[in-house]
Amino acid sequence: MKTLGRIWWIILLLFIVLYPPTLGGMSAYKSGIMIFVGIYIILAVSLDLLMGFAGQISVGHAAFFAIGAYVSGILTVKYGASPLVALIAGMALSGAVAWAVGRPLLALKEYYLAMATLALNEIIVTLIIGLQWLTGGASGLRDVPSFSVPGFSFDNHVHYYYLVWAMVLLVVASSLALVRSPFGRTLVAIHSDETAAKTFGIDCAAYKVRVYVFSAMYASLAGSLFAHYMGFLAPDDFGVLTSINILVMLYLGGIGTIWGPALGAVFLKLLPEFTYQFQDYELLLNGVILIVVLVFMPGGLFGILKSVAERVNARGSG
Amino acid sequence: MSEDILKVVDVTKSFEGVHALVDVRFGVTRGHVKALIGPNGAGKTTLLNVINGLLDPDRGHVYFRGHDVIGMAANEISLLGLSRTFQLIRLFTVNNATVLDNVMVGAHKMLKPTISSALFFRASTARQEKAVREKAMEALAFVGLEEERDTPPGTLSFGNQRLVELARSLMAEPELLLLDEPASGLNDAEVERFIELLAAIRQKGITILLVEHNMKLVMNISDEIVVLDFGKRLAEGDPAAICTDPAVIEAYLGAECGLEGGEG
Repeated sequence: MKTLGRIWWIILLLFIVLYPPTLGGMSAYKSGIMIFVGIYIILAVSLDLLMGFAGQISVGHAAFFAIGAYVSGILTVKYGASPLVALIAGMALSGAVAWAVGRPLLALKEYYLAMATLALNEIIVTLIIGLQWLTGGASGLRDVPSFSVPGFSFDNHVHYYYLVWAMVLLVVASSLALVRSPFGRTLVAIHSDETAAKTFGIDCAAYKVRVYVFSAMYASLAGSLFAHYMGFLAPDDFGVLTSINILVMLYLGGIGTIWGPALGAVFLKLLPEFTYQFQDYELLLNGVILIVVLVFMPGGLFGILKSVAERVNARGSG
Repeated sequence: MSEDILKVVDVTKSFEGVHALVDVRFGVTRGHVKALIGPNGAGKTTLLNVINGLLDPDRGHVYFRGHDVIGMAANEISLLGLSRTFQLIRLFTVNNATVLDNVMVGAHKMLKPTISSALFFRASTARQEKAVREKAMEALAFVGLEEERDTPPGTLSFGNQRLVELARSLMAEPELLLLDEPASGLNDAEVERFIELLAAIRQKGITILLVEHNMKLVMNISDEIVVLDFGKRLAEGDPAAICTDPAVIEAYLGAECGLEGGEG
């Protein structure tokens, strides 16, 4: 089992490293698609920690995606900060916002929590539109520079592809480490039954806030990576529709598995590349796929892969 | 020696005008098994919920190991050494949680897991985790379920789910264990086995407060019994005294009494 896991990691790593020179043909466009895929994997995996493990619904995850993107954009464009500093500042602000609103917000349950997180998303978008002098408002924030660290600039798309995917691996690996640790087990206990969890000394409110802060900081990282890739930020990219898109990735891929939501992000972001001739029907197609998956395959894409793998294994040993 | 580990003093609780508990007062002696019995709706589960902090009473005090625990959160009271099981089984079932996972959650207060311990101090976390896993296997062996470690708890029989809850509550190394109808839904053989387990738990020096309808179990294992009726304390005493108390017989016991080697 452990060696099998290692083999998968090596295959994945080889694919990521070899994609630009082979399938990607070193083209900016093909690297760009995978940059988007990577950014959405970070978003989906970070939401999975909060929703799939701690069981706390969020219909406003794009709020932290927005904070990361705009802090990076504003600090680099208006104040000439280095992108790395801006990225860290964005994560700090996202974490601080999550910490500040986390306790009252996560005291709510189910529909009320869904509504409150949605409202948070709306508030952030409204602030972005309203604070025009700072954010560029509805007309957007222009000329966000490429990402750079002292001595190296990621202005080439292929270079940026490697940076984004290094972050993806970091986020996925750390999220897996987290959910497989005693901390993850505590989250599952809270998800399953808060009353029972409390009777074992678990401070549910504190744990929910911790995972919320952590999840927000990863979403913020995705936002910063997005800002430096796009070079232009507009509030439309960070609305509730984006939050719902991330939710769809979770359910499509298989919520509560880390790999599943990552797979959901890959699927949903690559789908338009294969169906571009039907692009008028893209939303319809997404909707139909989601319904089919939810009704017939509640384990999502990852659930399907797992059951196929189990069947192959059973045949191999049988 | 005969100090009270738990003191319930004049606890009163109403739900929308219904008096669930009225001036209930009793103590539990350290090292003893005390049973809380009474008809359905007498307020037994409400009282357990008040003791472990899931409910706040309207009036009264609960002292656990000398601490006034009213107003403390359930998780804080738990850290003082209180553990419980539930009448309606409350095992953790989401995200493919196994029996072993459930039991290991019981050891939360030994691990107090954090994000940094999971990501940065992995070696020491792994060491602690190994110790907790071994302890959890011992707890499962104690209740006879070590074979079921990787089973999802929802697929176990009702009786075995109760045993998983018991193992989980023991993982917290409680000084006082609250058991809410642990024998309901168990067959006769399982009840026999449960009586043996409770005796063994008592041997470890753990005090037990038990809500139960199965008189055979209650009369066999209890040092003292307190009887609740319509939220009031009706009687308190040792099993023989309760068995012959006319008020208790009228309100609850009827003629039946499970006291072994009956007086004829």
